[in-house]
Amino acid sequence: MTWLPETAPGANPLERVFGLRPNLFEAWRGFAQIFWEKRLLDPVLLELVRLRVAQMHEARFPLASRRPEARAAGLDEAKLAELEHWWRSPSFTEAERACLRFAEQFVLDAKGMSDEQARPVIAALGAKGAVALVEALAIFDGFGRFCRMLEIEPEDR
Amino acid sequence: MSAARILPPADAGSDPISGSALGHQPESLAAFMKLYGTLWSHGILDHSTKEMARIRNARTLDCGV
Repeated sequence: MTWLPETAPGANPLERVFGLRPNLFEAWRGFAQIFWEKRLLDPVLLELVRLRVAQMHEARFPLASRRPEARAAGLDEAKLAELEHWWRSPSFTEAERACLRFAEQFVLDAKGMSDEQARPVIAALGAKGAVALVEALAIFDGFGRFCRMLEIEPEDR
Repeated sequence: MSAARILPPADAGSDPISGSALGHQPESLAAFMKLYGTLWSHGILDHSTKEMARIRNARTLDCGV
């Protein structure tokens, strides 16, 4: 539960914290949603990197949710169970592996990204897709940090 | 400075943001600019604090923009 002394009305912990700044919350949601709504990237790939970033931050709130777009596209829990050790699993495609490697470097040290890490991502996604991936990673990384800093956690059911 | 890994679109203008590689995704760029504009123009935190945080973050990441 957040340590903030004040919260806003809301249906879940995120709404009760981010709802303190409703105009920012609305604009953030508009940005975060666009990757899914406009299908700027394959939803399975997007969900894999979203959850991998959340794992790295040990951010329980984003880890507790699943995007319906990815599920509809065929991503199942069996594959997600291998995400924490994706590098030793045969379940991930070469493009997914390149993007997961890229995502991890983004979170750990973005300025340390090498050409060897970036090249296969650009080859797999093209310039448009690579730009979308970097923008999405910025959202996921920022959101993970936001949740950890403000202790936004899923409610126990 | 190393060469850009992703070049801007061929029809990109001279704006430092929309004329960059971000111009490949105009819809997400527009959504980002709305968020960024809200942060700067409709926030309650004073501008000096935000600018210090922005510059400190850029220096940490060695980002020239």
